[in-house]
Amino acid sequence: MRGTKVLAVVAAVLLALACLPVGGCSVDGAAEGGEGSEPYRIGAVLSLTGTYAGLGIPEKNAIELEVARINDAGGVGGRPIEVIYEDDATDAAKSQAAAVRLIDEEGVLAIIGASGTGQTMAMRADAERAGVPIISMAGGSVITDDFSEWVFQTPWPNRIVVPFVLDQMAAAGHTSIGLISDTGGYGVDGRDYVLAHAGEAGVTVVADETYNAGDTDMSSQLTKIRAAEPDAVLIWAAGKEAAIIARNARQLNMTQPLYGGSGIARAEFIDGAGEAAEGVRLGTGKILVPEAFGEGTESYEVATSFISRYEDAYGTKPDIFAGHAYDAIGLVADALGRIEGEVTSDSLRDALEKTSGWVGIDGTFTYSATDHNGLTQDEMVLYIIEGGTWRLDR
Amino acid sequence: MIRTRLAFSPYVAIAIAAAAVAAVPVLSPDRYLLKVLVYVGVNVIVIAGLALLFGHAGQISMGHAAFVGIGAYTSAYCVGHVGLPWLVGALAGTALAAAGGLVLALPALRLRGHYLAMATLGFNEIMYVAFREARGITGGGDGLGGISYPEVAGLSIDSPVGVYLLVWGVALVVLLLVANILRSRPGRAMRALHATENGALACGIDTVGLKIRTFALSAGLAGLAGALYAHSVGFISPGTFGLDQSVIYVAIVVVGGAGSLAGPVLAAIALTLLPYADALIPGLGKDAVALLQDWEADIYGIAMIAVVILAPAGIGGLLTRLRIGRAGEAHV
Amino acid sequence: MEAAEFLQYVIAGLKSGSIYALVALGFTVVYGSTGIINFAQGEFFMLGGVLTVWFYGLGLPVPIAGLAAVATTAALGILFERFALRKQRSAGPLVLVIITIGGSMVMKSLARHLFGPDELSLPEFTPGPSIDIAGAAVERQALWVWGLTIVAVVVLWWLYRKTRLGRAMRACSISHDAARLMGIDTARIVMVSFGIAAALGALAGFAVTPLTQTSWDAGAAIGVKGFAAAILGGLGNPVASVVGGLVLGLLESLSVAFISSTYKDAISLAVLLIVLFARPQGLFGSARREKV
Repeated sequence: MRGTKVLAVVAAVLLALACLPVGGCSVDGAAEGGEGSEPYRIGAVLSLTGTYAGLGIPEKNAIELEVARINDAGGVGGRPIEVIYEDDATDAAKSQAAAVRLIDEEGVLAIIGASGTGQTMAMRADAERAGVPIISMAGGSVITDDFSEWVFQTPWPNRIVVPFVLDQMAAAGHTSIGLISDTGGYGVDGRDYVLAHAGEAGVTVVADETYNAGDTDMSSQLTKIRAAEPDAVLIWAAGKEAAIIARNARQLNMTQPLYGGSGIARAEFIDGAGEAAEGVRLGTGKILVPEAFGEGTESYEVATSFISRYEDAYGTKPDIFAGHAYDAIGLVADALGRIEGEVTSDSLRDALEKTSGWVGIDGTFTYSATDHNGLTQDEMVLYIIEGGTWRLDR
Repeated sequence: MIRTRLAFSPYVAIAIAAAAVAAVPVLSPDRYLLKVLVYVGVNVIVIAGLALLFGHAGQISMGHAAFVGIGAYTSAYCVGHVGLPWLVGALAGTALAAAGGLVLALPALRLRGHYLAMATLGFNEIMYVAFREARGITGGGDGLGGISYPEVAGLSIDSPVGVYLLVWGVALVVLLLVANILRSRPGRAMRALHATENGALACGIDTVGLKIRTFALSAGLAGLAGALYAHSVGFISPGTFGLDQSVIYVAIVVVGGAGSLAGPVLAAIALTLLPYADALIPGLGKDAVALLQDWEADIYGIAMIAVVILAPAGIGGLLTRLRIGRAGEAHV
Repeated sequence: MEAAEFLQYVIAGLKSGSIYALVALGFTVVYGSTGIINFAQGEFFMLGGVLTVWFYGLGLPVPIAGLAAVATTAALGILFERFALRKQRSAGPLVLVIITIGGSMVMKSLARHLFGPDELSLPEFTPGPSIDIAGAAVERQALWVWGLTIVAVVVLWWLYRKTRLGRAMRACSISHDAARLMGIDTARIVMVSFGIAAALGALAGFAVTPLTQTSWDAGAAIGVKGFAAAILGGLGNPVASVVGGLVLGLLESLSVAFISSTYKDAISLAVLLIVLFARPQGLFGSARREKV
């Protein structure tokens, strides 16, 4: 008889639930600063816990830093910006629910996020339906390749980074390459572009191996790559496994130079690979060595100012994820400032799309009705790891 | 069996539950609440099937998230690529998941305890790789977006209230079905199976056939839940159907109390809502929300431990004790 | 394929395999004394790594930091058994398994709170170029991994076969009631077995962190591999667990060599399933007949 009572219990719980949150629930509406004027409410969906916690935390740091700076300087047109944070715990279902909550209950003008590609794609349908722009900090090409008028992106997707790195490899005379990539979103996306652009760049992929997140040894894959005798090895990976690959390659006495992209542009890669990181080349944006922007340029000033303020506030240098977040909140503030007339999600989207020559960390952004990434290969630079840090190559 | 007990029939109960389900959107048209309750409804369907398998056929499955995935991807593919109506897609998802359950059950049910756990867990991992690599069908690791809303008789169910009512309507029907199975002769046979398999065999019960049928049914219900999930959420990716989710399902059933249906369903509701508690509790300050989000995994783990420590027979066991206390009679 | 290249695959397989073996041993020790699967075993591996890095950061030399991490993790394992599991012994295995699942969530999340979300590194015990064995390159750290695995297995064997404690543990694995009738303090044995399991997991985490780095979420993947290795060999038999771990490592490595790196996990699990369907008690497990 146990089973039959279930329905009554379900009913009771549902009734109890129904009585809970009638209507919205935001309490602290009053804004910080801004002479009592109504703040612009912006949502942020970040992976503060779960697998991408290492992305979400610097992103939140950068957003808080920038919002404080903007508001201290009087806000945008006299109105402060208020950011409402949501943690998606690196879960697509949670990021979607968070987006709905931000739109419906918090009435945000735009959403910054998510940290991950899958989490961004999961929010998309609801944001489109409600007409709220999303500024993603995830690098998946699909975010802007699979175009939506409501979705913008700040990092350089693999669509930009991969051809740049392949060109650099070809220019260095490495015409046959061995590829090792992870089976997660970043690696698969990168691998697609490598295979598609290899011919154009004049290189041949002679070995194509993959590994899974969490693997502890890649020497089998590298042994296979070594047997194919490539001129150089391209690592398209993110996470701690990339460092294992560099170590394994060194220990297998592989003499081929190693190349990579944004996925290994993290201090943790150098720490993890140790000696084996020396001589690794990688193509990514210019934040690692701001001199790459050219000293005295506006980009250089923006980058060095952000780096020193971030270091003052948090005691560490900002990583590339902090840069993606700086750009996301900066682009929103810039667009808000350019809106003439009523500020709505619609007018904010239109203003974002008209962004032209805005100087950020990931580069100088120019969005258009067909390009919501706004960056080009000009923002890429090749680094070599020497003495435990990045240096510009050549 | 006491006669008066039967007066409280499942039909009365479902009427009350249906009224409660219908009351929610009337009382609060909050889209966020409805969205979260859709997740709850989907999990209730999975858990009902798993509780049937677990509590009443004595079989463990650490691979139910894979069956949810099979249902979700099959339905999304049938509707999105093949162009079949939603109802057909959902049925195909359910059928394929059930067939998958059957294929796995045939050899796997020779295994016992931890070995069966490993086999189903291995199945989950293999299906995860399949979801990730069959990119033509599943969209790969980046996921499959733009899945259309459920459609019945040419009418698209695209409002949050509609989706919510559909999912919970199905969930109530599933609960009724499972409750009925448990009351029926096969249900009693299944419980005999759980108590002692040899005893059941001695009574002339076809234990092997029963186990396999139960496994397939349970997998099919998971597939149905997956089909509902895919079309109500509109986006699916392999991460949703991984091993950790299967572990959570099993944990929900045990926290609810293996051998009960009400307990696991209550646990499914409570534990699915827990991660969203920060947003569902009105009047919570910003800092409190941030703190709750940061410590969510700890709270979840501690809640699980606390329930099984305080009530080793799970929530279902607590309910039984309450009832015994009140009625002063033994429970069958 | 040249012999040297084949040997390289074998070495890679044995390297991963011995880590799986250590984690599998942890599963087997707990299973032997309690009959349950400890889902927190992977977290012991993680704790071994992150705690070593933490102690090392305090200024301790690597070997001392490693010892401290193994001891701390063992103490945590004992505390976990004593305060979360012991009183629930009568509630049946499922309840205990759920407590270990809840415990693993809490340990993992606490590690993130305490040690941050990023990867943590540890220097190699003896840095230097790899050693050439018949044309195949062997990392120095891999020798440490193997050495520590062998030491752990020998110590465990000695403990099980030559000490009173070990005899008591074996008695427990046969029958708790009988062991108690013989005057064995079964509660203490269970507690000790959790300590040993935690130490084994932590040792694996300590040995491998210089190669792989570690982080708060490093436990889950290795936990699954260790469980698979323990099941492949046959639960409850330490030698079988070691063999199961090595076989699993070799399966993965040879899948990469001859089939595909993308499907290596699927292939090794498929082999595991086939083995289980053919031999439901694992490779070396003895078929236990249920008494009627």
